[in-house]
Amino acid sequence: MKLLKIDHVGIVVRDLQEALATYERNFGLKADPSRGGEVPALGIRNAFVPVGESDLEFIQPTTDQGPVAEFARERGEGQFLLSLAVDDLQAAVQHLRALGYRVSDPNNGIAFVSPRATHGVNLQLVQRG
Amino acid sequence: MSIGATHIDHVVIRSSDAAATAAHFSRLLDAPIRRRMTRPGTGAHLEFMKFGEIILEFAGPPQPAEGEPRAELAGFVLCVRDIHAAVRRLRELGYSVGDPKPAVQPGAAIATVRSGTHGVPFAIMQYGVYPTPTPREGEQR
Repeated sequence: MKLLKIDHVGIVVRDLQEALATYERNFGLKADPSRGGEVPALGIRNAFVPVGESDLEFIQPTTDQGPVAEFARERGEGQFLLSLAVDDLQAAVQHLRALGYRVSDPNNGIAFVSPRATHGVNLQLVQRG
Repeated sequence: MSIGATHIDHVVIRSSDAAATAAHFSRLLDAPIRRRMTRPGTGAHLEFMKFGEIILEFAGPPQPAEGEPRAELAGFVLCVRDIHAAVRRLRELGYSVGDPKPAVQPGAAIATVRSGTHGVPFAIMQYGVYPTPTPREGEQR
């Protein structure tokens, strides 16, 4: 498994537009308008804010179901996940499963490692391009 | 107006047993632990990995807690071009920001932004603020 970089840090927020406005106005960090939007399959809307070679991903739950909504209910706003870019997602998933870790099936270039395999940290693997 | 952030310097994972969590991530991700240290003052145990330009910091108590290690994401640090200017700017905006102080990274200064970051513990950092000692032979930074 070849890890390329930390792709992004996921942050759950109550109001996506308000969070984006705060980070742009106060910290000078501006969302990339070409990425993000509604993701009904995950029950979220999101936006990506480039910072150097990585991004901050702001995530607002749009339903009451799923891990993002659960996080928001239990903890409010906060850092939700760490996403690592790999060169070959299928190979990475196979490698981790061979080691005995639970990993979701890749979907749209993304796979999630079970928090049970990470001492509780939400870890995502992503293949870009 | 910008605070001059250039990149994410590090992401923090807080663990009840930082050494165990770092070792676990090292196996899981097939990546080496680059540095281990005790934080001066608090005695916190810190271990570091690096992916691209970002350091992954594992932070835990001086003595690991009993039981299965539990970890969580605990904030990130943005590198800025001028930490004193960034602190002034944020204070003008009404943020509560600590005074810049030496970071555990050699030569770096760090200041914590205490609120208004949408739930994310957040700090800003600048390298090259303080003189750095010459690394001894074989020492990793």
